Amino acid sequence: MDREKEEKRYKSGLLRSLWPYNFNVERYTYTLHRITGVILILYLIAHVFEIYHLALGPAAWQQTMALLGSLGIWEKIGLWIIAGSALYHGANGLRLILNEAFGILLGKPVLPEYPYTPTSLSRNQKIAIYVIVLIVEALWIWAGIYLLWGLGII
Amino acid sequence: MPSKYSLLKESWNMILMYALALIMVFVLTFHLLLVSPLTGKTFEQVLNYSYVLHNLTYYRIVFGLLLYAAVIHGLNGLRVVLIEWLHVKRFQWIINTIIVILMAVLLAVGTYTLIAI
Amino acid sequence: MKVRIRRFDGQKEWWQDYEIDAKPSDTVLDILNRIREKHDHTLAFRQSCQMGSCGSCGMVINGLPALACQTRIGELKTESIRLEPLYNYKVIKDLVVDLTDFVNKHRSVKPWMIRKNPEELEEASMEFQVTPDQNLTFVQFDYCIMCGVCLAACPTVAIDPLFLGPQALGQAYRYIADPRDEGFEERIEVLDDSHGVWRCHFAGACSYVCPKGVDPAKAIQYLKKEILKYRLLHKKKASVKPAELVQKAPPANAPKPPPFDFKIEGGE
Repeated sequence: MDREKEEKRYKSGLLRSLWPYNFNVERYTYTLHRITGVILILYLIAHVFEIYHLALGPAAWQQTMALLGSLGIWEKIGLWIIAGSALYHGANGLRLILNEAFGILLGKPVLPEYPYTPTSLSRNQKIAIYVIVLIVEALWIWAGIYLLWGLGII
Repeated sequence: MPSKYSLLKESWNMILMYALALIMVFVLTFHLLLVSPLTGKTFEQVLNYSYVLHNLTYYRIVFGLLLYAAVIHGLNGLRVVLIEWLHVKRFQWIINTIIVILMAVLLAVGTYTLIAI
Repeated sequence: MKVRIRRFDGQKEWWQDYEIDAKPSDTVLDILNRIREKHDHTLAFRQSCQMGSCGSCGMVINGLPALACQTRIGELKTESIRLEPLYNYKVIKDLVVDLTDFVNKHRSVKPWMIRKNPEELEEASMEFQVTPDQNLTFVQFDYCIMCGVCLAACPTVAIDPLFLGPQALGQAYRYIADPRDEGFEERIEVLDDSHGVWRCHFAGACSYVCPKGVDPAKAIQYLKKEILKYRLLHKKKASVKPAELVQKAPPANAPKPPPFDFKIEGGE
């Protein structure tokens, strides 16, 4: 077999890395964290250049806003997805900092006994994930109502 | 397999990531509140020139902090994604260089915007 | 029962179907042995102990990496079984994968006891003491059988073959947490690299599939905590005191021990 084919067999690729089907909840959160992160950095690059037009005066700003407004409903939907990404990435990131830097929600090392339920994926971790999902969902729906229908103003 | 191609020890890199993430939790929440329905404005009013200009000039330091934290955290994250995905150790410095250049450009544009307005 | 197996003969890959009689209490390894005995002698797979302690028969069963000898047909609750070689490895033949990189990664984290004075390991006058409480902090990670199932589940290994992987990092923490070990600084040279411990993003899939309950994800998060503590506060895990060494050659003027008396009292 030629070397290139062998390399291809070895490297399993992006799809296997991001496709969490059959696995645990944490792997779904990993996939979402990564995708939302990439969305946010791409948006940030565009956002910095968008705000740059503010320094060029009101006319340039109006032009930029008109350009974005020409996207119609897709502008709002795009912003909604970005808002959701920011909410999820922040909330899940806080959980990961607790896990990685402080060792919280992991459980202490134990003697493994059948059926070998890992303590790092235990009830506490799941509760943290579901709380994050609930809060993010609620805020995201609120943001969606605001962006798409202009409602929800207090 | 220690690498002489890595710019920083990865742990310092991650400490920076965690610190900037924690800063951004507060600063970005503040930024989102300024464009949120809690201001009592509609989406179009929030994007009004004078409103945006007022916010940026009034909270210039906060937005400067957000700019630096977000650009460094975000591009560092992108670097992590790229070095995992491309995973060729010899070319890692190319990824690092591209990221540093992109970081410099974004920070220059952002800083200029914050000073010029 | 229908069994689909991903075959590979060094040139081409294909799916092959077998129709097998199976009881719910049969393990997947029993099924594979039956196929090789009665249906197809060319099917290749690894096996040794058949009781989940050697770690040879790791494979992907219905999309989830597991040990074939520990998976019963009844547990799967499916009409057919789909068997593939472990993901993220080079396949040699059928269900046999190349574990060379895996073993090299394990070796690169120095999975042995490191003392600053190596003579202590050979010539200590007494054993290094570990209390039961101290033992509990690392013994879970010592149960690893090196089956390689965790690397097949890891999303980072799927895109980054240079990443050390859950097994090697878990073993690194097992030795770092051990109070007898003093090799922390030596090991973090390897662990704190661009493809080392920080490429773990806690997807937890390794712990989810681990057939021995080793929980590598937990070990890696604790390892990150230890490294952060070392970098920021210059603190590292306490290790036991150096042992007193046995004196090799007694001094020349030392009194000779009395010759042993073989006489038995009351004897002839």
